[in-house]
Parts: sequence; C-alpha cells; structure tokens
Amino acid sequence: MLKTDGVTIRFGGLVAVNKVSIHVRKGQITGLIGPNGAGKTTFFNCISGVYKPSEGHVVFDGKNIEGMRPHKVNAAGMARTYQVINLFRKMTVQENIMVGMHSRLKSNFWSDLLRLPNQRKEEKFVREETEKWMEFVGLQDMRDHEAGSLSYGKQRLLEIVRGLASEPKLILLDEPVAGMNSKEKEEFDALLRRILNLGVTILMIEHDMKLVMGVCDYVYCLEHGSLLAEGVPEVVQNNPDVIAAYLGGDE
Amino acid sequence: MRMLIQLIITGLALGGVYSLISMGYSLIYKASGLMTFAQGDILTVGAFLGLTFYRFLKLPYIVALLLTMAVAFIIGFLLEKGVIRKLLNKNVNAIYIVLATIAVSYIFQNGAQAIWSSKVEYFPSVFSTDSVAVLGVNVQPESLLCIGASMICMILLHFFMTKTRIGTSMRAAAMDSMAAESCGINVSLNTGITWGIAAGIAAIGGIFIGPMYGVYVTLGSKLGTKGFAGAVMGGYGNMYGAMVGGLLLGLLETLVAGYISSELRNLFAYIILIIFLFVKPTGIFNEQAIQDV
Repeated sequence: MLKTDGVTIRFGGLVAVNKVSIHVRKGQITGLIGPNGAGKTTFFNCISGVYKPSEGHVVFDGKNIEGMRPHKVNAAGMARTYQVINLFRKMTVQENIMVGMHSRLKSNFWSDLLRLPNQRKEEKFVREETEKWMEFVGLQDMRDHEAGSLSYGKQRLLEIVRGLASEPKLILLDEPVAGMNSKEKEEFDALLRRILNLGVTILMIEHDMKLVMGVCDYVYCLEHGSLLAEGVPEVVQNNPDVIAAYLGGDE
Repeated sequence: MRMLIQLIITGLALGGVYSLISMGYSLIYKASGLMTFAQGDILTVGAFLGLTFYRFLKLPYIVALLLTMAVAFIIGFLLEKGVIRKLLNKNVNAIYIVLATIAVSYIFQNGAQAIWSSKVEYFPSVFSTDSVAVLGVNVQPESLLCIGASMICMILLHFFMTKTRIGTSMRAAAMDSMAAESCGINVSLNTGITWGIAAGIAAIGGIFIGPMYGVYVTLGSKLGTKGFAGAVMGGYGNMYGAMVGGLLLGLLETLVAGYISSELRNLFAYIILIIFLFVKPTGIFNEQAIQDV
C-alpha cells in the first residue's frame, strides 16, 4: 500500500527525519511510535505532501508521490488527520464532511444555481453520504453544530470521518485519541476495526501504548529522526532500545 | 420628504457600488490574509472596459457587462498568480506584498490613461428615459439599476459561497488552508479564483457608476478607499458585513452631503472609519480581526 525508501528531510543543517524506510501493508493497522520530537509528525508531512523530502522515495499504491502537492495526494487516495485538530471550526459538522468529499464531487456553479437534474442527484448523494459518516461516529444529532463547539474527542472523530469521506485507500491518523475521554478511548479500537472493514488501511501515530499494543499489526519506533526498531507490537515493546528511549535514554 | 427619498436612492446606489468593492476586500483578506490597494483601480479598468464594449463597440449592455466581468476576472486571477503568489513564494513579509499592490494600482491607473483617455468620458445612458418616478420623486433610472444589480450580485455571491462546491471549498481554504489541502482542495487555484471574483465584482461596479459619475482614471481610487471604509465598518473579512457596511456608508455620506454640506461628505466618511477602528474594530458583524485558536 505505502512504502517509503530512505526518506530524509533536512531543515537547514538539522536532519529531522533520517533515512526512514517503512512498509504499510494493505488491510493492516501500522503504528508509528517514539518519544516527543522524534520526527513522527514531520515524517507524516513528508508522506502527505506538506513537505517534500530532501532525499528518498514515497511509493503509494504503486506510484511515486514524493513532492506531490497535498491535494493531489488526497486525490490519489490518501487522507489524514492532524495532531493539532484542523477542522473548519466555523462550518457545521455536515459541511466539514462535505468538504471532505470534495474530490468526489463534480458540480459547478451553473449546475448548482440552475438546479439541473444531475445536480439534484448529487445533492441527494451528498446528503446521504454525510448522514452515513455522521452515524459512523455517532455525530448525527450534531449535524448543524459548528465544528469548533464540539468537545475535543468529538472533534477528533469528526476529523477522522472528514478524512474518510474522500473514500481513501489509506488514512494517516496523528495521535487520534489525544484529548478523548476514557469512554471514547475505550470505544476507539472498535472504531479502528470498523475503518479497516471499510477497506481502508491505517497508519497511526499514537502515544497511548495500550491502544498501540492492542490494535496494531506492526509497529515502527522512531527516535531522533531515525528508525530505532520495528516488528510486531510484543517485539517492539520488549526491545531494550525502545524501553531506553522511552525512559529517557539511560545507557 | 421628497428630498429624503431622493437622497436615500442616490445613497443606496452609491453604497451598492461601495459594497461591491468592499466584498472584494473581504474575500481577498479571508483567502490570502492580505490587503490590496488595486481594488479601486480595477473598478476604473472595469468602467473603461464597459465603455469600450458598450459605447465604442456598441454591444448590448448585458453583453458588455458580462464581457467586462470576464476580463476583470482574468486580470484579478493573473494578478494573484503573477504578482502575489510569486512574492508569497519568496517568503517576503506581508507588507511588501501590500506595497506591491500599490505599484499595481498606479500601473492600472496610468495604463488606463495610456490606453483610453485622460479626460472624463461620458458613459451613454442605458435606458431611453432620463428619469423615472419613484414615490413621486424623479430619479435617474441608472441609480435604480445600480441598487438592483448590486443586490443581485450580493445574493448570487451568497449562494455561490454557501451552496456550491467551489464556494464551500473557498470558505474551507480561507478557514484553514492546510486542512483544505489535505481534503483534496487546490488552495492555490482557489486563491486565484477569489482574486478573480473580487476583481470581477469591482469591475461591474465601474459599469454601474459610469453613467452617473462619468469615467475617468482616478474614478476607482476614490471609490476604493470608501469601499475599504465600508469593509471595516461591516467587519473586515466578513462578506455580509462588507455588503451592509458599504451600503450604510453610501447612505450616510449622501445624507450628510444633502442635509449638511457636500464638502463634508468625505471628511465624514473617514471620521466614521477612524471611529470604527477605535470603538468597534470588529465591525457591525463582529468579525474577529484576530483568529481564535
């Protein structure tokens, strides 16, 4: 699904991500862990087109996508969420999902204005789709609420379905449970399973070790921009380097 | 009473043109976070284009209107792509881009003078009669056209921004460009379209006001600063605020000119601007000048 090969990015003299190669397999949940400042989000930005890697390749679904603009990456079938929630705060829940569907819609100004038949069909389609996604995360009673007025956890859920609304093949989740309450957290692995059942592959940055160890099929650990360890959760969890990195790098 | 009706109609006609300019400022501010000084001069260019199509080429009024809008749209789009975007890509301070728009403003003014004329050109009347009676008062039919057409523009723009896919994506891009990009929206193209629309509506303002004021090279620069004042009054960056602010400024200014002295009208308009900046910088529509986090 997604392969990176020696992805490196430098800001001036600083190497933020150093020769990182990962492989995200179709239909799996892949985890990306590491201490704060390890370069995880920067690495996400290299994949999703926010940054162009200084070196290395990003191959998504058989195509080279490094340096492609983010909206093209989205159109190619990759959605993402952000560590700092990036919703359209003054738009309603439903409108946010509608924007998420952007790359799937075709209407233009005149067909919207003149209410042409194909336009009405599309409008109905949009209504049904947004309804479906709101139900997917239990936001259907809040369709007309401004996104910025939702609780932190609900905003996270909305950001995820906004991403899913583009019907991606892969979704990148950047710390999806940060700010969620304990009930929302508990329900989250079930939500991840339901996303997988839609045929969407998941790559996720997460600090919540219980969640990562519980749901991920494969885990990569980054430290100081470099890959420190990889493997199935149990292996990575017991890797002495990983333990040292998390405990503060005591030699 | 007659005088009041007369003044209200004249004021709303002028205010309608201010609104068309104000909306452009607000759209551009929302999409790019920038202020442009070229907005008024695009109105001048629009007026001259309208003159060319309508008076010189003798095209039907509506065709002249649409052609002017289309040409102005292209000018606005190219201005964003060719000047603004180029400077943004150099990562210069925003103030340099604003300064660049001042240069563009003078290029438009002097360009218009070189291409067309340095005199006041008359814009032929659109209707065959010189006046129509409204509530027992005779008014120039063009001022009614101006009021009606600017209202229609506002309504169309409202539907465009809220009900269409492009409008929704433009609002999304203005709210959070990075999130919009990752939703598949081409933010750079959107910004260009926004500048194009801003130019298009300013240009038709030029066609509407032409028959009332005549067409000359500094026509737009005077109206442009008033449009700016209207945008601030409404809440800078708020499209609806710009509509209301522009109309209100035109109305108040005309009433001052009619009842007190026409020499005080500009003074009055700019004093209102300063008062708003001090007392209510968020304007009538309470638009937050600083984004909440």
